[in-house]
Amino acid sequence: MMDTLKRMDAVLLLCLACLAALGLTTLYAAVHQGGLHLWHRQIIYWLTGMAGFLAVCFTPLRAAGLLAWPAYALALLALALVPLVGQVQMGARRWLDLGAFHVQPSELMKWALMLALAHWFASRDAASKKNAAVAVAMIAMPAGLIIIQPDLGTTLVLAAAGAVMLVAAGLPWRWAAGGLGLMLAALPFVWQHMHAYQKQRVLTFLNPQSDPLGAGYHVIQSMIAIGSGGIFGKGFLHGTQARLHFLPEQHTDFIFAVLAEEGGFVAASVLLLLYVVMIARILAIARRAATRFGSLICIGVATIFTLYAAINIGMVTGVLPVVGVPLPFVSYGGSALLTMLLALGLVMRVAIESRGRVYWQRPGSPLA
Amino acid sequence: MLEIRRIFERRLLLLQLIGLLLPLLLAARLLDLQWIQHRGLLEKAERNRVNIVPVPPTRGEIVDRHGRGLAVNHISWRLTLIPERVEHLEATLKRLQGMLGWSNARLRRLRARIRRARPDRPVLLADKLDWSQAAPIAARLYAMPGVDVRVGTHRFYPFGALTSHLIGYLSLAGPEDVRAGVLPTEKVGRSGVERLFEDRLHGKPGAQYEEVDAHGRRVDVFKRIPPVMGQRVRLALDARLQQAAARALGDRAGAVVALDVNTGEVLALLSQPGFAPNRFITGLETEQWQAWVNDPRHPLLNRALQAAFPPASTFKLLVGLAGLRRGAPLATASTQCEGFLELADRKLRCWKRTGHGRVNLHKAIVESCDVYFYELGDQLGMPAISEEAARWGFGQHTGIRLGPEATGTVPGPRKRAGRRWRHWFRGETMITAIGQGEVTATPLQLARFAAAIANGGRLLAPNLLADAPPRVTRALDVSPAQLAIIRRAMRDVVANPHGTAHAALRGLPWPAAGKTGTAQVIAKAQDVKGSDAKTLSYLHRDHAWFVGFAPVDKPRIAFAVFVEHGGHGGSAAAPVAAALLRAAAAESKQAQPLASRERAR
Repeated sequence: MMDTLKRMDAVLLLCLACLAALGLTTLYAAVHQGGLHLWHRQIIYWLTGMAGFLAVCFTPLRAAGLLAWPAYALALLALALVPLVGQVQMGARRWLDLGAFHVQPSELMKWALMLALAHWFASRDAASKKNAAVAVAMIAMPAGLIIIQPDLGTTLVLAAAGAVMLVAAGLPWRWAAGGLGLMLAALPFVWQHMHAYQKQRVLTFLNPQSDPLGAGYHVIQSMIAIGSGGIFGKGFLHGTQARLHFLPEQHTDFIFAVLAEEGGFVAASVLLLLYVVMIARILAIARRAATRFGSLICIGVATIFTLYAAINIGMVTGVLPVVGVPLPFVSYGGSALLTMLLALGLVMRVAIESRGRVYWQRPGSPLA
Repeated sequence: MLEIRRIFERRLLLLQLIGLLLPLLLAARLLDLQWIQHRGLLEKAERNRVNIVPVPPTRGEIVDRHGRGLAVNHISWRLTLIPERVEHLEATLKRLQGMLGWSNARLRRLRARIRRARPDRPVLLADKLDWSQAAPIAARLYAMPGVDVRVGTHRFYPFGALTSHLIGYLSLAGPEDVRAGVLPTEKVGRSGVERLFEDRLHGKPGAQYEEVDAHGRRVDVFKRIPPVMGQRVRLALDARLQQAAARALGDRAGAVVALDVNTGEVLALLSQPGFAPNRFITGLETEQWQAWVNDPRHPLLNRALQAAFPPASTFKLLVGLAGLRRGAPLATASTQCEGFLELADRKLRCWKRTGHGRVNLHKAIVESCDVYFYELGDQLGMPAISEEAARWGFGQHTGIRLGPEATGTVPGPRKRAGRRWRHWFRGETMITAIGQGEVTATPLQLARFAAAIANGGRLLAPNLLADAPPRVTRALDVSPAQLAIIRRAMRDVVANPHGTAHAALRGLPWPAAGKTGTAQVIAKAQDVKGSDAKTLSYLHRDHAWFVGFAPVDKPRIAFAVFVEHGGHGGSAAAPVAAALLRAAAAESKQAQPLASRERAR
């Protein structure tokens, strides 16, 4: 018990604590006017999530290996069910109604796919055509199901995370380049089959001023918020864009703009730095993991975190199109926080199980 | 080490590099927004947040010399709309239409006004709302973002049509006014005193800096620049004189001008028919405007100064002065009036067919003998008459600056005939000498002329403001003795039982002096029998004049009364002057305490 606690990565924990503090502070600024119940709820999510985090820390990684395939199969089944019985929101069918709560199977699939791929390549080399082909199929099936929902953002995150894991598992560069070329060739086809609102988003991204009160409004207001914050910000709770509700979705997808408006470049840099340290730390754990499974889990988690943070910040600063992606550990929302804390728990478990500088020495493994 | 492990380590390094590069790119973008574009974006944030609501100033009041309100402000509520803050314009307008009972035509006009207006500034939808109209709207503002009801004032003219031409009217600021810094919801003087003293009356708008949220709702007021009130303008006018003149004029068309003999202060300036200036305040309906424009009686025309008429026999005063100054033989002699004068093949008639007998200048003025003045004019010649007319300010602006003033016409020394200049025919000169034909004048010019006769030859610019220093247009070089001759004759027009105005101005508290005039409207054949006013259709009837001053020995007030198609000067115009003078005498009795009280305040 004490041994496990002692083996936890202190830097990662510290990062998490700082992110929790910064995230809750920012959320406070974003929601304080409408009452603090959202903020209180987010604290409860944090507490719940930390309990889950600790539980994962005390669970052997083997359990994750055992769970990988059932989880993937379950998520795939759920995804397949969505077009049949899913709930429609804003023109897209994404949610499954499970009575007490709604589940977004595509959200589940991200993590399940990451686990499954890690497990698939734990004892296999991606330089083999067969292994790589199975992995591509593992990615393509859910991606296809998600894109017809349609949910372009999640599809891209999923595909990108899968691709990064393939590359980390040793996919030869020639194949990677070929796959990328194939995807680019498919782009016109995808554009033709995109929903009008998705096309609109992309067009608005290319020229936000074309529709300043409509689709471009969100991005313009968030850029105004961020830019008006300047280097040192307007001060805690003094951001006019946030306080007067010019900033849309300010407690969820656009919360970064609240931070950048009230805390300025300084606070935004602190957040970026925390992410950098956290990702670097996760990758360092990937390097010293005892098993290839552990390494690949770390790479998957780091990739998803990085994608989330980069897409979100890119979106609110107007360099990427508006895609509904939360800012890790800062955006309001229980399920996203919970899954990310569980994922981080996996990473921590990998760190706990790593021993010294001896890598991938699981007995009986062909890679050992 | 295994090959696969080496590949993994290399790729991990690559991922770590990407993991560093991405945040650097994002940080660069943040620096771009928060440092390079900071100023511009901060300005945008401020513009988002700050709503500068202009606060219109209260327009200065216009009062008469005794402080009676001529143009005052009443409290009312104004309904405005900021187009860009409105979510559903059509629904909002329909809703307001239901609450205020607007006509569809009005709704169309408002839509057009909103289309033309700047989307970020308030557009005036209605003003002069009373509380019973404003309260239901104010209670539902939450459901109509962009709409606002604010308390303000609206202009009210207590004397209505009576002072309509003098005071003028307001209308909503146009694009030029807005460019000059006036708020688009404000009213601007369009005519009369309202326009002439616009700068003084208007005041300066203030502003309220309000913090608004994304829905345009006011969150806070953090700065207020109070508007500068417009100044009060006190006119020289005496509303009582104006009222008395209007009452005496009744529903006849005409004009009455009364001036202070010594200062040129305008004590009365009436033109009838007038219009209802208060109708302009709520936004004049086009139909009403058209009706006024097309009315054959021309209610929008200020007859006191915008129209010139033949001065008729009142002009004889001027010809008499010219005769005296130039030493015309007849001016100090007499002639025989047989009722007509034969000139070559023409017969010029005197109004009195039986003739006046022996006439000198005095009798010719008192009894308004035409034959005498035909002869005097003939002796003087047109150049002398026109020079004298120009000396006394005819054919020129008086300098009242109250809208487009007519100059009237003074015949030049020579007449243009086709391409050549020629001398006037004697007949033309003779007709001009009795104020017909080539000469026209405004009532204001004649009142000023009368004032100059009364004050010893100082031609004054009419002064609209009370207590303003007199402006002397010209101090005429005129012999007091000669002026006295004319004044005496004017006195006897009233005092002498044979005087043309004796009947009308008998027994006034202030003995008056004056001259009647009866202007022919068309050159009617002089031999037609029964050419008296009653049998002629209205438009062919003569204009009646009475021009003079009072009291005789110590003149204070000079006046000109003009009754359009009124008939004879003595019977139609002189009684109006009598009413005016009675009011003036009454006012001078009460005014002293009133005026001192005003000053003490």
